[in-house]
Amino acid sequence: MIGETRQAPGGARMNVGQIERELGKLRTNDDGTLALRSSVLNLIVVTDEESAQKITGSVSKLAGRHPARAVVLIADPEGEPNVDVGLSAFCNVRGGSSAQVCAEQVTIHAEGPAARHLESFAGPLLIPDLPVFLWYPGRFSPRSQEFAAMADLADRVIVDSAASQNHETCLREIAALIGDPEMPAIGDLQWVGLSPWRSLLADTFGTPERAGDLEKIESAEILYAPGGENRALLLLGWLASTLGWRPECRNGGGQNIEFSGPSGRIVVVLSPDSPDARLRRIRLYSEEYSFQVSRHRELSHARTTVMRGDELLAERTVHLGSFDLGVLVGEELRYRGRDEAYERSLLEAVEILDL
Amino acid sequence: MADTQVMQNILRDEQRLPRVPEPGVMVIFGASGDLTSRKLVPALYELAAQRRLPLEFAVIGISRTEMSHEEFRGRLRKTLEEQRSGEVSDDVWESFSNGIFYMPGDSKKTETYGELKELLKRLDSERGTQGNRAFYLSSSPSLFPAIVENLGEAGLNRGEDGGWSRLVVEKPFGRDLGSARELNVELQRYFDETQIYRIDHYLGKETVQNILALRFANGIFEPVWNQHYVDHVQITVAEDIGVGSRGAFYEEAGAMRDIVQNHVMQVLCLTAMEPPVTFDAESVREEKVKVLRAVRPIPEHEVEDYAVRGQYERGWVWGEEVPGYREEKNVDPESVTETFVALKVFVDNWRWARVPFYIRAGKRLPKKATEVAIQFHSSPHTPFARDDTEGLEPNVLVIRVQPEEGLSLKIGAKVPGTGFEVSSVNMDLLYGTAFLEEAPDAYQRLLLDLMLGDPTLFIRADEAEGAWRILDPVMRHWSQKREVSFYPAGTWGPEEADALLERDGREWRRP
Repeated sequence: MIGETRQAPGGARMNVGQIERELGKLRTNDDGTLALRSSVLNLIVVTDEESAQKITGSVSKLAGRHPARAVVLIADPEGEPNVDVGLSAFCNVRGGSSAQVCAEQVTIHAEGPAARHLESFAGPLLIPDLPVFLWYPGRFSPRSQEFAAMADLADRVIVDSAASQNHETCLREIAALIGDPEMPAIGDLQWVGLSPWRSLLADTFGTPERAGDLEKIESAEILYAPGGENRALLLLGWLASTLGWRPECRNGGGQNIEFSGPSGRIVVVLSPDSPDARLRRIRLYSEEYSFQVSRHRELSHARTTVMRGDELLAERTVHLGSFDLGVLVGEELRYRGRDEAYERSLLEAVEILDL
Repeated sequence: MADTQVMQNILRDEQRLPRVPEPGVMVIFGASGDLTSRKLVPALYELAAQRRLPLEFAVIGISRTEMSHEEFRGRLRKTLEEQRSGEVSDDVWESFSNGIFYMPGDSKKTETYGELKELLKRLDSERGTQGNRAFYLSSSPSLFPAIVENLGEAGLNRGEDGGWSRLVVEKPFGRDLGSARELNVELQRYFDETQIYRIDHYLGKETVQNILALRFANGIFEPVWNQHYVDHVQITVAEDIGVGSRGAFYEEAGAMRDIVQNHVMQVLCLTAMEPPVTFDAESVREEKVKVLRAVRPIPEHEVEDYAVRGQYERGWVWGEEVPGYREEKNVDPESVTETFVALKVFVDNWRWARVPFYIRAGKRLPKKATEVAIQFHSSPHTPFARDDTEGLEPNVLVIRVQPEEGLSLKIGAKVPGTGFEVSSVNMDLLYGTAFLEEAPDAYQRLLLDLMLGDPTLFIRADEAEGAWRILDPVMRHWSQKREVSFYPAGTWGPEEADALLERDGREWRRP
């Protein structure tokens, strides 16, 4: 990405007008010309001190693909009352020596009681007429008043269901949010990370004769790493909700799940694997075929195979794509409405957990 | 079968998953040529690597050169590595190239097609390609009729077992209206028009498609996009390079056939067309054809009033002295082939009545630039008449297609001070700086559309003929003359091009 990051001094006592003026100054080029502000969306990020540096880095990288007014809120409700503002702009210099277009980032560090009223900072800083995305990279409290007030500002909320220590609770809480008509659309980074897997799996049923086997799946196994539980559950939720499998029971410590499907019983095994990738492999078995997508241990490659017994019928290796935080969030920012497939898969996953 | 199709759609039928074509084979005629190794295969490799092609996909290359499958794959990989500075994944290439096959054969001989048919059947059985075939004619245009006839006689114009068969034709689509019609008749003898995909890679460029987005996704432009508000339109397709090693080709083609008949006419259509009802192939192409039909014919005896041709002489481009066209390799020292064309055309319909479209395209101009400039009428009355309004000019909306894609709007603004001095200010937006996302290569987009069976960005028979119909009288007139106007390399064309606008009280803008 070609561009430069400019920073303004910021300070503790800045008001909205001062922030806007300083951001305007940041867009002034060395030769006195003023670069345009380019924005396609507002992005509000709520994070904590510990993750702030990593998250602001990801937000800066997003500016290239999703030029935005980014408002990064670092909250510490337990700290001494204090508010600190930092301003920066990422200015694109492609095609000339002087900056042309800038995307802005306002970072507000709120400590003490103000940290419980982040909406009072974010609201006045939003650019009108552009959609508002609210991103919680880490843990969040969906039942809190603070969350509700922030969600009220947003058109879409992006969360990471793997960020919580208790992944099952987190999935249930997100499912509850989806059922709340007051809530905006919800996106989950664990679901975004499944897109290439789902696409590759769909590819294995690309011919009419094999598509027929979707009805005849008898068993499946999903290998995942620690931290990948929700990804595995959402993948299973997607398969079950799409193929009409009804969850019946769980055993083997919750790892073996039985479904009833259009053609009978389906047994799925969720197996923990080595920690080098959140998802390692998915394999579906019908009476005649096995369909597999597996990730390379070292490279971001996926190998897809279709076998009939020991006979290899189709095989392909492709790039699995990047699972970098910025890439996953960027994918979510491309999407504006409710994601019905995600919501369906999530509800199915919760139903599996409830067995 | 119907049930299984539905099952297949269940996994794929989702907004957030990319559309992936049905299984199929792409057969490339003229496969030892540059287009295959430099454009087609890299585009297919990228599509495959990015999970946009089906699992059951294969490529067959055909040309007269004797080569094994492995030699063919090796050549393709070598070019791919050169293009990507060695960054080709072994695993991904291995997997992709397993589906690449080569068949030496003379495309004029019937036995070649018998062999091809056998190979296709084998791939259907071994690789599950389902009887779907796309035949890409990347060979010399003189071979097109023979290939099409042989494909047809071998029954390859129909997919196997209910599959599809598509034919891709590279430009030029004929040399003039007569030969374009003959070619279309030849193609349509064996292939239905819905099976034919005439490819002009220009339409695959994101930047060209953005003309449509600008016009039809923004309500504010459409009300002023007509003769009530627009004074005239200037379309420029300028290149700073010369003919280079393509001298022999260019002697036959010239700027009119190389650029104007296809690229420029497409830009004209996208600029002038009515809003299509939907963005599907027939709606979009129908509106484009209506523009071509509405272009006022240029009578042969009036060509001098509407068209200028020029040829570059020795000159300076970006600090470098460059040879004149007649000094280029494989060019006749007395050639009158045009390297520059300027045209004035009218689109005689309700929207564009009396609005001239000035077109210019050429080589060895000062810079590479493609743009459409819409110049609006001056304001009917200025309340600032007593003050200094000298710098005030009509509004101009410029759609830049390349090199820096973007929009520019020239507006009048008050100069800070106590008086009321108004000056023109350019508001520029570079799409490239707003969205840094890499646009897909034009061939990637078009090859994917071909496999998906979406002909929206391909050219229909009547579009190709419509463009020739406009230009034919001009080319006939020029073919009877031995004079051409000259311009020094590094300038904006011959003086006659300036005079074309000066006669109307206008001037070319500087891109």
